Amino acid sequence: MRDGDALENNPEVTRSALEAIHGQVFGWALSRCYYDQAAAEDLMQQAYVELLSGNARFDNQSSLQTFVFAVVQNLARSRYRRLASRLRLVKTFEATSLDRSAALAEPDHDTKNRDVAIWQYVQELAPRQRDIIELVFCREFTIEEASAVMGVTTGTGRVHYDRAKKALRRKIGDMHENE
Amino acid sequence: MKMSDQELASAVRRASSVDSEAPPFGDVWSGAEQRYQRSRRRYSWFASAAAVVAVIAVVLNAGPTALHQGGYIEMVELMDSTSWAAPSDVLLPKYEFDIYQDLPTLMESTKPAEGALL
Repeated sequence: MRDGDALENNPEVTRSALEAIHGQVFGWALSRCYYDQAAAEDLMQQAYVELLSGNARFDNQSSLQTFVFAVVQNLARSRYRRLASRLRLVKTFEATSLDRSAALAEPDHDTKNRDVAIWQYVQELAPRQRDIIELVFCREFTIEEASAVMGVTTGTGRVHYDRAKKALRRKIGDMHENE
Repeated sequence: MKMSDQELASAVRRASSVDSEAPPFGDVWSGAEQRYQRSRRRYSWFASAAAVVAVIAVVLNAGPTALHQGGYIEMVELMDSTSWAAPSDVLLPKYEFDIYQDLPTLMESTKPAEGALL
């Protein structure tokens, strides 16, 4: 049976369900756009247009959150690739020149600076490793769900997850040694 | 010192600055609806424009042809264009082809071979 606020072209999706996961999805869109607020908002709007038009049709094969995350991921990959790579260059330059130097140059950097440095290490991971770390650690997805969002098999997802953890441990370990 | 998965996850989670400053859902949703309506309007405009172009093309093509034909067809032209012949008609006598009369005359042989003339 269709809910009252179900979408016309996507009867399994309700407006209220989308509203409930809006914050999480926006965080993901923000991350896809290298934390450019305007680009992320545009990406979110386009994702909702895909749901409204029924181009992205939800059929209860996964959770709605996983599905919408995957829609955002695919849109970011296809339509926003050029913009995203431009933003990545800008953000990487800014982060490299400002944040990490500020975080690591000071011998007695505090917790905030350490957090900045850790987040910078996450951003420096390979794209797939960064994505799975963000999905599993920050969004509390399972590896299976995160792999579905990323469009890879669970086995591949596990490999990225393990490599990402190893790389992060190594970098954070180096940071502690330098303290 | 080796961090456990939980320690690593909590460190990354603390370090991440996600989920801050999400714009109101209503704003993003209404923007998406407007964009969707705009794309639908654009699509329907293209569809109606294509339909108009198709109608104009049909009218322009049909007009001169009807004028040129004059409205009737000559009966002789019609009969000529509808003549039909079976493919086996080539075997009929009018082509003067008689396989019995056209048998080749062989020279008489005088050389025997195994009791028979070649």
